[in-house]
This record gives sequence, structure tokens and C-alpha cells, in this order.
Amino acid sequence: MAVYRRPSRTRYVLAALVLAALTLVTIDARSNGGGVLSNVRSKVSDVFSPLQQGTHAVLRPIGDFLTGAIDYGSLRAENQRLRDQVAALQNQAVQSASEQAAAQQVLGQQNLPFLAGRPAVTVEVINNGSSNYESSLTVDKGTASGLAVGQPVVAAGGLVGTVSSAGAHRATILLLSDPTFSVGVRLPGSNVGNAQGAGRGQPLRVTVVTTNLAAPTVKKGDVMLTSGLDTEKFPPYIPVGRVASVVTPPGSSEPDITLSPLVDLTQLTYLQVVLWSPQ
Amino acid sequence: MGLLLVFLALVQTTLASDLRVFQVAPDLMIVVTICAGMAGGTQAGAWVGFWAGLLADMFVTTTPVGLSALTYCLVGASIGFVRESFLHDRRLLLPVAGFAGTAAAVLLFVALGDLFGQSQLLVGGRSAIIRVALVEALWSAVLIIPVGFAYTRLARGSVGADRLGPGTGAGTVHTERLVVK
Repeated sequence: MAVYRRPSRTRYVLAALVLAALTLVTIDARSNGGGVLSNVRSKVSDVFSPLQQGTHAVLRPIGDFLTGAIDYGSLRAENQRLRDQVAALQNQAVQSASEQAAAQQVLGQQNLPFLAGRPAVTVEVINNGSSNYESSLTVDKGTASGLAVGQPVVAAGGLVGTVSSAGAHRATILLLSDPTFSVGVRLPGSNVGNAQGAGRGQPLRVTVVTTNLAAPTVKKGDVMLTSGLDTEKFPPYIPVGRVASVVTPPGSSEPDITLSPLVDLTQLTYLQVVLWSPQ
Repeated sequence: MGLLLVFLALVQTTLASDLRVFQVAPDLMIVVTICAGMAGGTQAGAWVGFWAGLLADMFVTTTPVGLSALTYCLVGASIGFVRESFLHDRRLLLPVAGFAGTAAAVLLFVALGDLFGQSQLLVGGRSAIIRVALVEALWSAVLIIPVGFAYTRLARGSVGADRLGPGTGAGTVHTERLVVK
């Protein structure tokens, strides 16, 4: 009978590698994002960023071609939807302009921090994040331009996310669709909720926080803004999303609300990082 | 071998996001891990998987460093073990190994992540995990052919082929001895 014997060294190597990986996981998990491994990540990001930029420049035509090929059907539908939307918006232009002017006067009188000309840095997206377990992207500026972890990131339309890590010249932006992202939002009736990401391409899930008030009456299409309360990580009155669905489960007084982000997170090019931190 | 890993990491972080199908991107680091296991056996799969996973961990911020290294190391070792023990013609089975290995890697990553407190990996629910596993596995079945070709060319007689660890070269699946009783 033939007997196959595996080298015992293989077992030792495998055990050593598994032990090393477990050690790294334990160290990083206990450091809560501020330890030596986070610094290593930042340094690696700084080293790789020029290479990524060069590779991106070379591969962009291939990427654009593949994206167009993969998304051809949805692109045609999106094109038609946008044409219809432009036509509808043109009809609303005059009314919107007057309403916007009135809103600016009201909000300006309230001296809201976010609308009071807080400094912001314009950044460009250099890659859209390739992980299937994280919704993030990389931008072309870092701590050298004043960026810091925790700063809110916005685009024309509303909230995009927050700075989750920053090297000297590159930063990673965690998008609001990421499951680890959460933001306090204002609900009708002085209620406050917590909107949490549910994954790439999924609407945010809103949990009503205030339970000593009457349940909020929310309807589909309402726009929700950041609450900006004392413990919040974002300034107030930044548009977050539009209500996509409101369902009150049987036996519950609080509705299950989902939000569609106001910003198209798949078509981001230029963003604004607000140089703001919670007090 | 290190250069191949760095090159694949660059392509992964720049091009892979443009290849999303149903919001799922391919993962070149697990593909090269499976190639290493198929070409070099258990030890090669473990070594390349560890370093490929560690490199992948450098580009994410919401999961701890080492989680991908642990996952890919175990998957690479398992693929190598199966290759050494049962499979003889690796070329025909490469897409199958790519599919199965990647699906297993996704499920193992989520399971280990949950074990280490990364509950955000389960927020999307079972359907999201299955979707990611299936689409990523299909991508791997396609991409493993060119990546495997590049791996065997680079691993065969290259100067740095053994720097990541012993047995990373192509065709180094050895049996220590066969004892006939």
C-alpha cells in the first residue's frame, strides 16, 4: 500500500503564518484605528499613491471601455431618465430660484455653521475603491492640505461621507453607504434618527432615536438633513438623502425608514472636504 | 513574486472598481493566491496568500490588518493541499479552483470577520454575501487564466521567486516519499 507523507515543515509554516495573521488582527482590532498598523497603512498608501496614479492614467481607457461595456444597458436608460429630468427641471427653474433665495435668507439669518462659509478643500477622486466589503474611495490630498480623520465630505447635492484615514498626500473617504457609517438626521416633529449605511448600492436605514415624542410622520420623497447635535460628528443641515420607503411594522409605533443618498456615489469626481471638527 | 503582487495590487486598486458587476468587483489577490496553491502546493499557497492578503489589508480601513492575510493564507493552503492530494492536471481545473477558492474565501472572510467583531460584514444579509461570493467567484474563474500564466512565467526561475517563502515556484509540488507496503 502506498503511503503519502506530507512534509512536517509545511505544517509549521502554515501555523506560523496563521499565528502571525491572528497577531496582526488582534493588535489592529485593539488599537481602534490609532495604532502602529494604522500608521503603516498610511505610509503604504503614501508610497503606493504615485504608482496608483500612474497605473490609473495608463489603465483609464481600458477601465472606461469596460465600464461602458458592462453598464451599456443601464447607461442608455440613465441617459433617457436624465433627459426627462432636465425637461422637468427647466419647468421648475423659476419657482426653484425664488424658493432657494428665500431659504438662503432664512438659513443665513439662523447663522448655521455649514452654510456660513466654513473652509473646505476641493479634492479629486483618484480611485473608487475595489474592496467588496467597504464603500470607500481615495482622493488626491491628505494631511498636507489640512485634511484630518473625521472631517465631513460633501458634493453638490449633499453629504458624501467622512475622511476615514489620511496620509500626507492621500486620504480615504468612507462613503455613507458603508455599513460602518452612521449620521444623525433630523426627523419631523423634533425627532432625531440615526441613518446607517447598508452596503454599496443599498439605501441607508434610519432608526428613530427619540422615543419620548410622537412618532414622526415621514413620507416618501422627504429630504433629511444632518441633525448636528452635540455628540454628532457632522455639522447640522447638510442634506443626506431622500426618503425611499416608510414602513411601520405591525405592533411597532416607529417606522422603518430608508434613505436614498442625494449624491450619486458612483459618479464622484470632485468633492469638498469641510475643514470642520465637532467641538 | 513580490513585484507580481505589487503589480496586481496596483491593477486591483485602479482597474477593479471599473469592473463591478452587480456592485461586486473582482479580487486579483485571491486569484494569485489560488494560482500559487495550484502551482506550488500547500506551502506556496500559504506564503503567497499571507502576503497577498496583507497587501490587500493595506488598502481598506474598516477591517483590521491581518484579516485578509489570515483568510487568503488558509484558502491558499487549502487549495494547495487539495492540489497535492487529489488533483493532477492543474490546467483544466484552474477555473474550477478559481471559482471554488474565491467563493470559499468570501465566506471565510465574512465568518472570520464576524468572529473578530466586524459585524458590519453581515449588515447586507445573506443575499448580499451570496451575491458577492458568486460574482467574485465568476470573475476569478475568468481572470485566473491570464494571472496563472503570468504567475508561472514569473515564478519559474525568477530571482525573487523564493524570497516570499519556500516553494513558490511553479511545478514544485513534491511528495516526500511514497512508501510501498
